[in-house]
Amino acid sequence: MSDPKIEGLALKPGFKGMAEDTSSDQTMFKGVHWGKAMMWIFLLSDTFIFSCFLISYMKGRGSTPVEWPNPSEVFALDAFGVPVPLLLIAIMTFVLITSSGTMALAVKYGYEKNRKMCGWLVLATAIGGLTFVGMQAFEWSKLIHEGVRPWENPFGAAQFGSFFFMITGFHGTHVSIGVIFLFIYAYKVFAGHYDSGKRGWFTSMKGDYVEIEILGLYWHFVDLVWVFIFAFFYLW
Amino acid sequence: MSETDKQDQTTTHKIGIYLWIWGLLFVLSFFSYMVDWYQFQGMLRWSLILFFMFLKAGLIMAFFMHLFWERYALVNVLLWPMTAIACFIFLMVAEYQYTLFTRLFYFFVGG
Amino acid sequence: MSEDYNDNKTIQAQSSEAISGGGSVSPDLDYVRPAEIPDQDLYHGHSFLTKWVFCQDAKVIGVQYFLLATFTGIIGLILSWLMRLQLGFPGAAGFMTAEHYYQFVTMHGMIMVVYFLTALFLGGFGNFLIPLMVGARDMVFPYLNMVSFWSFFVAVAVLLASFFVPGGPTGAGWTLYPPQTILEGTPGSGWGILLMCISLILFVAGFTMGGLNYLITVLQARTRGMTLMRMPLTVWGIFTATVLAMLAFPALLVGALMMTLDKVLQTSFFMPTILKAGEVLEYGGGSPILFQHLFWFFGHPEVYIVALPAFGIVSDLISVHARKNIFGYRMMVWAIVGIGALSFFVWAHHMYVSGMNPWFGFFFATTTLIIAVPTAMKVYNWILTLWRGNIRMNVVMLWCLGFIITFVNGGITGIFLGNVSVDVPLSDTYFVIAHFHMVMGIAPLMVIMGAVYHWFPLVSGRFLDEKLGKWHFWLTFLGAYSIYFPMHYLGFIGVPRRYFEMYDSPYMTSAVGMNEFISTAAFIVGAAQFILIYNIIKTLKTGKPAGHNPWKANSLEWLTPKVPPEHGNWGERLPVVHRWPYDFSVPGAKEDFIPQTTPPSEVAHTEAEKT
Repeated sequence: MSDPKIEGLALKPGFKGMAEDTSSDQTMFKGVHWGKAMMWIFLLSDTFIFSCFLISYMKGRGSTPVEWPNPSEVFALDAFGVPVPLLLIAIMTFVLITSSGTMALAVKYGYEKNRKMCGWLVLATAIGGLTFVGMQAFEWSKLIHEGVRPWENPFGAAQFGSFFFMITGFHGTHVSIGVIFLFIYAYKVFAGHYDSGKRGWFTSMKGDYVEIEILGLYWHFVDLVWVFIFAFFYLW
Repeated sequence: MSETDKQDQTTTHKIGIYLWIWGLLFVLSFFSYMVDWYQFQGMLRWSLILFFMFLKAGLIMAFFMHLFWERYALVNVLLWPMTAIACFIFLMVAEYQYTLFTRLFYFFVGG
Repeated sequence: MSEDYNDNKTIQAQSSEAISGGGSVSPDLDYVRPAEIPDQDLYHGHSFLTKWVFCQDAKVIGVQYFLLATFTGIIGLILSWLMRLQLGFPGAAGFMTAEHYYQFVTMHGMIMVVYFLTALFLGGFGNFLIPLMVGARDMVFPYLNMVSFWSFFVAVAVLLASFFVPGGPTGAGWTLYPPQTILEGTPGSGWGILLMCISLILFVAGFTMGGLNYLITVLQARTRGMTLMRMPLTVWGIFTATVLAMLAFPALLVGALMMTLDKVLQTSFFMPTILKAGEVLEYGGGSPILFQHLFWFFGHPEVYIVALPAFGIVSDLISVHARKNIFGYRMMVWAIVGIGALSFFVWAHHMYVSGMNPWFGFFFATTTLIIAVPTAMKVYNWILTLWRGNIRMNVVMLWCLGFIITFVNGGITGIFLGNVSVDVPLSDTYFVIAHFHMVMGIAPLMVIMGAVYHWFPLVSGRFLDEKLGKWHFWLTFLGAYSIYFPMHYLGFIGVPRRYFEMYDSPYMTSAVGMNEFISTAAFIVGAAQFILIYNIIKTLKTGKPAGHNPWKANSLEWLTPKVPPEHGNWGERLPVVHRWPYDFSVPGAKEDFIPQTTPPSEVAHTEAEKT
């Protein structure tokens, strides 16, 4: 994780440390693995993608003179004969946050070189993600069944369906890619690649539990994006 | 980063902190769901939604993604570019209001 | 390949300042902190395929990028010839219809901006120079780097494939503004725009992989002693441009994706209600302005993605060939960073006449004029670097001088266009064409040419021919001026851009001769570029051997044990850096240059020794 020890350099905290890190040689992010730095910068770039999506959504929704469908009603689900608003979405949020928690613990146990625990937690995260994707597929099919299409919907402004399918679809793609990698990494953990330092398929870098943290960053990011989608798409 | 954190360099963080954050995320999600349940409207709804959203996002980033423990060099590199997004959002709010105005003005009022 | 760090030094030197600032000669003077991370393991190719095709060596990937970008650039050049043929001599090319003209305009623009200049500067120069200049063995993720190039390859293939699909390539202008982009009647509104969007998405994906490499290599893989403020400005320029690309391309990606959905799924993100021949189309409720905002949120940083590497490279070339340290290095760095940051706050100055919120004019005119300040600082610093320098009037220097002149010219017209009230009458005229070709077409091209003459000895081990180079420069420079300078005048008399033919407009009588003149110059300038290709082919075999460090430069790329550098760049030991790369003509030093690896103790007797 953080707090590296570096020979010949007393790392200071705060902004003073930032100034020294920035003006030093070799690395700017002291003790940060290349892959982790890459993932952070990638996520920054990805943040801009999702921001552009959400800004477009805001512009589209804000400027339409046609009435926007009420998400609270559109996404309601009948439970025991009573329509409960956003029931499925609440469960999906619950599942995603759960998987985020297991991921965070997996990273912790990974750094403690607790192979079994780390592996099971990564696997649990993968299953959580899979559940999420499944529920999203259910939500999509329900809406399509009700006549919501990317180009039209029976509730109001046509842009509702367009933005809904595009943004949740793009997020769902991220989740799916994450799930695939979670399964792969769960295998790699169980197989002990990170204990033996086995090199990856396409890279000459040695395996290390830091890769679990890198994967974790991606997974938490997917959760983070969902927080925003949940707020802006379902609650607004 | 306090001195005690520095002592803790070689080991990982205590499990308690993750469980706490985990629990908080559930509670906050529940609260933001309640905003919809009780059908708050207007500015109250807006501010509650945004408040819970930023709180949740902040917790995830700070603790699950370890930004709280990272050095400022990394944290600043990640957060400053958001000003460009903030500017984009700010201007697009002005833009959608103007677009809506022109649409209402020319389509319905009739110019 | 790891270095031996077990020198029992007990000094507690914390920063480079503390080390190099010492006055007296002592062994501590040369101390550089030990390496933080172990040396990089590299995958060495064994077969032809892994050595030259799917190669993981950044230098080879750089050359691959360079060649492919140049190839697409030549296609862009041929398209511009066809356009000029039509404009100067209407009807001379029999097959040229208005549709073809629009398609050529579009493809010329998109190819030159994205697939030629961006790919050449970041993919080509970035890959070749970044690891060498910061003292790394390779990019940090060589495999990803290889995939990046091949994504670019596929993106180019998809783009060029659109010439052969039904309806041909899109003809909506390189800005791809909806709604006309995907409406029938615009050439290439079917397959053309679809392939364009797919190609752009592929390009962005590929570029992201490359860009992550450039950024992490600069941030996390510098050699011992290489602080950020000791990096050559070339690296600073490419680095900042890559940051811009990583943050700006997302907007293009989102725009292209939404456009694809509008085309394929009939969504209405950008499509308003449209009446066509009295019939309402299926679209409705979308906002074309939204696309323009997304496009220019990408598009304006894109201008600087092209310009910043050029700024950086030209600074290095001027410094080396004027034998003088760059004037105001720190100012130059901060100007690059400042321009980069500001470029995200100026985008809508491309949209003054689009019908956006009229108040935006105040905001964007202000930010646009603010961005002129760091840009002007850079120009002053280049001139002050030349001032009283020991200038070598070789081809490289000629290109640099050509750059400064064309850039100042294009920059000044930029100030015209940044002001709303001046922009409104001038927008969509040839004045705009003249402005952006001067500032982001010809000026960066001059730098590319200078850089090719400068670094060719490093890539191939041989010099390019100077005499041919001078012909190449003068034809290009004078010819480019003959093309774009008269265009300002055309703009002032109101000739609109993107018109296939001028017909019988009253102002056109005075423009006919000028158009013929411009077209003739364009043919000559285009042809002159083949001098370079001939020069490269000729000198690859028969050129004068360059040997080590032929320009007597200081930066690390010239200090490799072998020239051209082999895979892994540095042989057994990574270089250790003791100073900035601009120690030229230091008073009292034995030679007029002190390479970055020279330790202070070796030059300690000189009077001025401070980096």
